[in-house]
Amino acid sequence: MTVAVTPGPWVRKHLFSTPFNSVVTTVLATGLVYLVSALVQFLAGADFEILRVNLALFMVGSFPRNQLWRVVVAVLCLAVSAGMASGLLLAAARQRANTAGLGFERPSGMTALVNVVRRFWPLLVFIIVCLALTTTIAPTLVTMAALALLSASRLLSQRLHRRQFGWIAVVVWPLAAYYILSSSGLGWDDWGGLMLTIFLTVAGILFAFPLGMALAIGRRSSLPVLRWFSVSYIELIRGVPLITLLLMGVFALGFFLPLELRPSHVTRVLVAITAFEAAYIAEVIRGGLRSVGIGQTEAASSLGLSNWKTMRLIVLPQALRATIPAMVGQFISLFKDTTLVAVVGLGDILAASAFANAQPDFNARGLARITLPFVALAFWAGSYTMSREAGRLERSLGIGER
Amino acid sequence: MTDSTTQPMIQLEGVDKFFGAFQALQNINLSVGRTEVVVVIGPSGSGKSTLIRCVNRLEKHDAGRVIVDGVELSDDLRNIQEIRKETGMVFQQFNLFPHLTVLDNVTLAPRQVRHLPKAEAEALGMQMLTRVRIPEQARKYPGQLSGGQQQRVAIARSLAMQPKLMLFDEPTSALDPEMIKEVLEAMEALAKTGMTMVVVTHEMGFARAVADRVVFMADGQIVEVGTPDHFFTDPQEPRTKLFLSQIL
Repeated sequence: MTVAVTPGPWVRKHLFSTPFNSVVTTVLATGLVYLVSALVQFLAGADFEILRVNLALFMVGSFPRNQLWRVVVAVLCLAVSAGMASGLLLAAARQRANTAGLGFERPSGMTALVNVVRRFWPLLVFIIVCLALTTTIAPTLVTMAALALLSASRLLSQRLHRRQFGWIAVVVWPLAAYYILSSSGLGWDDWGGLMLTIFLTVAGILFAFPLGMALAIGRRSSLPVLRWFSVSYIELIRGVPLITLLLMGVFALGFFLPLELRPSHVTRVLVAITAFEAAYIAEVIRGGLRSVGIGQTEAASSLGLSNWKTMRLIVLPQALRATIPAMVGQFISLFKDTTLVAVVGLGDILAASAFANAQPDFNARGLARITLPFVALAFWAGSYTMSREAGRLERSLGIGER
Repeated sequence: MTDSTTQPMIQLEGVDKFFGAFQALQNINLSVGRTEVVVVIGPSGSGKSTLIRCVNRLEKHDAGRVIVDGVELSDDLRNIQEIRKETGMVFQQFNLFPHLTVLDNVTLAPRQVRHLPKAEAEALGMQMLTRVRIPEQARKYPGQLSGGQQQRVAIARSLAMQPKLMLFDEPTSALDPEMIKEVLEAMEALAKTGMTMVVVTHEMGFARAVADRVVFMADGQIVEVGTPDHFFTDPQEPRTKLFLSQIL
C-alpha cells in the first residue's frame, strides 16, 4: 500500500515553491495546453486518407503487390526468431541465477503482460497506429498471428538451453525471412518502405560492427602497416559526409565497373553505409579499449594467454560493455541516417512519403503535414525502443562491475 | 637437456633495461635456486618491479640474458609463452578480471592455455581457492570482494596454472592494513610448500620470517644480497644501512 498523496500540497511544493518556479510552471503549462489543443484540433480535422491508401507503400515500397504473402511469412519467421531468442535468454538468466544461488522469480499472467507493454510501448503505439490505418482485417490477423507465434516460441524455447538453439533463433529464422523476401526473381531492389529502412539498418550494423572492431584493433596493432591502414581508413571516411559516400557509391562506382558487373543500387548503398559506419564504430570501440586498464592485459599475458585470447576473452568483453551507450547512439543515428538513401533514388519510408504526396489524388494539398509525422513516428518508435533496451542491457550487465 | 634439478630456476646475467634515456636496470646478475624464496627490497624507483617484470617478459630487457627454468627469453614468442605458463605473477592492483566470476578467473588459464576440460579445471580451481581459504566466494564477482580476498583470488588464479615459479609485485601495497596479514599468511603457506618465489615488498617482517635471501636494490642496481639474518643485523654497504635506518 502506498500512502495516499493529496494533490494540493504536492503541487505547492514542487510547482509553486518560489516565485520563479511559479512563473516557469505557468509559462510551460500555458505552452503545453496550447500544444495539446493544437494537436487535438489537428487530429480531429485531419484526413488520413493518404496514409490509408498508401500504407503498403510506406511499409514495403514497391514490393510486388501479388507477392505480399512473402512479407507476411517473413514477419512470422522474425516473430519466431524473436520469441526463441527471448525464451533462451530467459532460460539462461534463470540458470545463472540458480548457479549463483539467487532466487529467480518470474512474474506470471497479468503482471508479465503489463511488463511487456511498459517495456515496448513505443513500438506498440506505432503498430496500433498502423493497424488503425488498415482497411482490411488481414493485417490485424497477421499481427495477432505474429504475436501468438512469438509467445508460443518464447514459451517452448524456455525448455531448451543448448547453444545451437541460439543459432537457430538468431541466424536460421532471420535467414529464412530473408530468403523468402529475396527468392523467385525478387531482389533487394524490389524492397522499399520501412522494410528497406530496417534492412539497411540491420545489415549495416551486422557488416559494420566486425569491420569496425577489426579497425579498432588494427589501430592499436604493433604492426605499422596495419596501424597506418586503420588510421587512414578511419580518418578518411570520418572526414566525408555519408551523403557524399552514397552518391559516390551509386554514381561514381558505375564508371569503374563494366555494366554487367555493376552491383544493384541497394548493394552499392549498403557498401557505402557499411564503410561509413565502420569508421565510427571503430572509434567507439577504440574508446572502449582504452577504458580497459593495462593491468588486465598484463595479468592475462602473465597467465600465458596469447595476445589474441587476451583480446577476445579479457579486453573486448570489458571494452564492449563500456561502449554500449555510445554504440547504441551510433546505431540509432544509423537508423535515422538511412533516410539519406532517398536522395540516391531508393524507396525507403521517407521516399515513400514523398512519393505518396506526389500522387495525383494527393498532390499539392500540403499533405506532408500528415505523412511526415507518420514517418517521424516510425523512427521515434524504433529509436526510443533501442535506447530503452540499451538502458536495460546496461543495468543488467552492471553486476560484477568494479 | 641439462639436468633440471641442479640448474637454478632463474638466471639473470648482465641485464640492462632502459625506459627512453632512463636506465631502470644496470648490469643485474642474480640467480634464484629451486624452492628458494627471494625478497627484493629497496626504495621506490629502484627497479625492483622492473626486475621481476623482466623475468616473465612483461618488460623486454635491453641487454644481457634472462634464463628461466633453462629456457632463455628471446624474441621467440614460443619461448615467452612457455615461460609465462610456468611463471605465476601477483600484482599490486590484483588485476582480477572484473567481468568473470571468481571461479572463472581461476579456471580461465587452465582451460584456455592448458586445455583442461571444464569439470577438471573447476575442481582444480576450487582446490586452489580452498588453499587460499576462500572457496565460499567462488560464484561471486571480484567487485563484491574485499581487497585482501581479491589478492588471495589472484594468488589462486596464478596457482591454478601449477607454476614452477611465482613472482609477487608488491602484493600488499594496495591493501588496507587489516588485510595485509591474510595475504602474507597465504604467501607464507605457499613458501612452505616449496614454491620458488621472488617477492618485491616493503614488508620487512615477511622478509625476515620467510626469505631465504634478501636482495637490496637502489638506482637500478643490486647493492647487496644476503640471508635475512645477515642482511638486517649486519648490512655491509652504506646504502643499505641508510635504507634500513630509514625504515626500521
